[in-house]
Amino acid sequence: MRLDISSKLALVLLLWVCAFTLEWFVSVPLLVVAAAARYLVPAFRPQSHRANRAFNKFLLYSVAILVLLTALNALLMPGGDILFTLAGLKFHHDGLMFGIRTAARLLLLSVSILIFFISTPLPDFIRFLQQKGLPSQLVLILLLTLHFLDQLPERINRVFVAQEARGAPVRAGVFSRAKSLVSILSPLVLSSIVESIDRGTALEVRGFLVRPEASLVRVQARQKLNPVSLTLLLLTLGVLFLFLLRWLLAF
Amino acid sequence: MAARILIDRFSFRYGPDLPSALAEVSLDIAPGSCCGILGPTGAGKTTLLHALVGILGRHHPDSIHAGTIRVGERTFAPLPDEILFPKVGLVLQDPFVQLSGVRDTVSDEVLFTLENLGIASEVAQSRVAALLRELGIDHLASRQPSTLSGGETQRLALATMLIAAPEVLLLDEPTSALDTSAVERLRQIIESLHSRTTVIITDTQIDFSLPLADQIVVLDAGNLRFDGKPSDFTSRMNEFGDVLPVRGWREALDRLAESSAMQSHAADLLGKALGKT
Amino acid sequence: MTGAALPFVAFCIALNLTVGQVTAALKIPLYLDSIGTVLVAVLVGPWSAVIAGSFANLLAAAFGNPSMMFFIPVVVVIGAFTGYLARAGWFRRWYLVALGGILQGILAAIVSAPISAYLFGGVMMTGTDFLVLYFRSVGNTLLNSVFYQGLTSDPVDKLITYLLVFFITRSLPRRLLSRLRGASNLKETPSRHAP
Repeated sequence: MRLDISSKLALVLLLWVCAFTLEWFVSVPLLVVAAAARYLVPAFRPQSHRANRAFNKFLLYSVAILVLLTALNALLMPGGDILFTLAGLKFHHDGLMFGIRTAARLLLLSVSILIFFISTPLPDFIRFLQQKGLPSQLVLILLLTLHFLDQLPERINRVFVAQEARGAPVRAGVFSRAKSLVSILSPLVLSSIVESIDRGTALEVRGFLVRPEASLVRVQARQKLNPVSLTLLLLTLGVLFLFLLRWLLAF
Repeated sequence: MAARILIDRFSFRYGPDLPSALAEVSLDIAPGSCCGILGPTGAGKTTLLHALVGILGRHHPDSIHAGTIRVGERTFAPLPDEILFPKVGLVLQDPFVQLSGVRDTVSDEVLFTLENLGIASEVAQSRVAALLRELGIDHLASRQPSTLSGGETQRLALATMLIAAPEVLLLDEPTSALDTSAVERLRQIIESLHSRTTVIITDTQIDFSLPLADQIVVLDAGNLRFDGKPSDFTSRMNEFGDVLPVRGWREALDRLAESSAMQSHAADLLGKALGKT
Repeated sequence: MTGAALPFVAFCIALNLTVGQVTAALKIPLYLDSIGTVLVAVLVGPWSAVIAGSFANLLAAAFGNPSMMFFIPVVVVIGAFTGYLARAGWFRRWYLVALGGILQGILAAIVSAPISAYLFGGVMMTGTDFLVLYFRSVGNTLLNSVFYQGLTSDPVDKLITYLLVFFITRSLPRRLLSRLRGASNLKETPSRHAP
C-alpha cells in the first residue's frame, strides 16, 4: 500500500469529514487509530525528533485542556439529568455530552493535521502543491518563508541585544516595554525591505518572473490518482452521502 | 558571443525633484573586452549597471532619462523596457542575496537559472557540472549554499549568471566581501572570460580591476571624469585623488606586477597599465 | 506582485510566526500574530496580504497549531479589509489608524465567531475558552458567547497591531517603499500647482 502525499491528504480529508459528520463514539476510536498511525504506519512516522516532541506535547496539552473543559461544561451548562455529584458539584448530562462531542471533534481534526505534517517535510509538501498547479510565485513565497524562519530568531535576538545596549527600556514598565516594540521591529522591517529589494532584483536578473513558463522544480508528468487515494476519496464521499441522507430523513 | 556596449549621452534622474544620478555619460565598450568602472559610493556605477541589465526602468517608472543605450544589436532610447537576461547577466554586490534561498544544493542553485530559461534538466545537469568544475567549486556541488564561505558564495553567484552564457557580464563591486586569496581566484576566473564575454566591473578600489581591464572609466557624482586606457589612467592617477584611494597605489600596483601570483596575461595588462611594457 | 514584494511577503509571513519571540522577550501579553499580514496590506496590497495571512495560518498549522487552518477566512478578511483601508489613505493619520484597528477587531470577532462556535464548539484550547464558558453560563448562546469573547480581545489586539505598523512604516524611506507598490498608501497626496 503506497501512501504518498496525495494519499495522506485524502486520509486527512476523510478524518475531517468523519469529525464533522459522525458521532463521538465513532470519532474517538478513529482518533485513537489516527494517533497510533504515527507508530504503526511507516508513512506517518515523524520525520524528526523535534516533530515527534511537538506532537507529543500537543497531545498531552490538548487532552488535559479538553478534559478540563468537558468537566467545566458538565458543571456549568445545566440541562438534562444530573449524571453524578462529586464533592457537592453537579455534573449535567447535556453539558458533558457537549464537552465530549466537541473534544472528540477537535482532537480528531487536530491529530489528523498533525500526523500529516509531522511525517511530510514542508519543502516536499510545497513542491507537491506546485505539481498540482500552485503558481511559481506562491511556491517561491512559501519556500522563502522557510528560509526566513531559520534566520529570523537570530536576527530578532541581535536587534534586541543592540537595542538594549543602546538603552531601550526593554526591562522597564509595561508601557515602556511596549514602546520598545517599535524600536525592535522597525530595524527588522527596514532591513527586510532592503534585503527584499536586492533579492527581488536577483530573482529578476536570473529570469524568474520574466518568463511565464518559469518553474521552480522539475515538474513531473501529471500522475494518475493512486488506488489508495481513490479509495479514501470514495470513502469520504460515502460518509458525506450517509450524513446527508440521515439529515434529510430527519426531516 | 560577446556584445558591444554603446552608451550615448545617457542621463538619469530617479525622480523629478532628485539630483542627476548620471549626467550625459557616453561610453563605447568593445565586445569581449573588460571595462573597470571606478568611483566612490554614489557615483552612479550601480545605476549604470542596472540600466544595462534592464531593471532601471521597471523599478523606477517615475524616473527621468535621456540618451540611448545599445547592447549588441539592440538599441534602447534610452532604457530597455525589459530585463535583458540572459543576454546580460548581473552579479550583485552581496552574493548572498544573489542566491534564491529556496534550493538545497549548490548545483540545484545553478540549475534554478536554467529552469527559468525553460532548459530541460537532463541537458542542464551536465552544463552545471562542467561550469562548477571550471570555477573550482565542483567539490561543493551537493553542499547547502548557506554553508559556503564568502569566496565560495561569490563563485556560486557568478556561476548562476555564467550558466546562461551571457554576452555581457556585469559585476557590482565583486570583491567587497572577499579575502585576498578569494580575490585572486576571482581575478583568474574573470581573466578566463576575456574575449568570450564583455565584462564590466564596478569598484571603489583600483587594485582588482586595473590588472584585468582593457578600459578604465571614472565616474564622479554621475559625471564621466575619465574614459581611456589603463596606462593613461595610471599616468594621471593623482588627478582622481578626490574620488579614488590613489595614495600609495602606484607602489602597490608595482608590487602586484612583480608578484608571481599574477598570471601572465594579467601581469602583461598591468605592466602595460603601468607603462612598463 | 513585484520582484521585491515576493521576498518581503515571505519575510512578513515568517514575522507573523516569530513575533511571539519578541513579545515574550519583552514580557508583553499580546499576540500580534497578524502584524506581518497588516504590514503586507499597507506596503504591498490587499490580495498580497490575503496570501500572506493564509500562508501564515497554513504554516502555523504545520508547526503544531492545527486549528489555525480553519481560521483562514478570518485572515482573508483581515488582509483584504486592511489593504483597502490603506488604499483609502487610512494609514496616513494616527486617529484613522486607531479607528481602523478597532473596526478590524470587531470584524475579526464577527467572522471568527461562527467558525469557532460551529466547528469547535467555542473551544480553542486557549485560556479564552474559560471566558466563553463564563458567557455561556450566564445564559448566552454559544455563538454570542464566542462573539463576546472575541470582542474582549480582538479590537485591542488589532488596534495595537495597526498602531505599531503605523509607527514602523512612517519612519521608512519612501524611496525604498516605492519598490513595494504600496508606498502611495503612506505618502501625502501632493497639492496641485498651476504650471
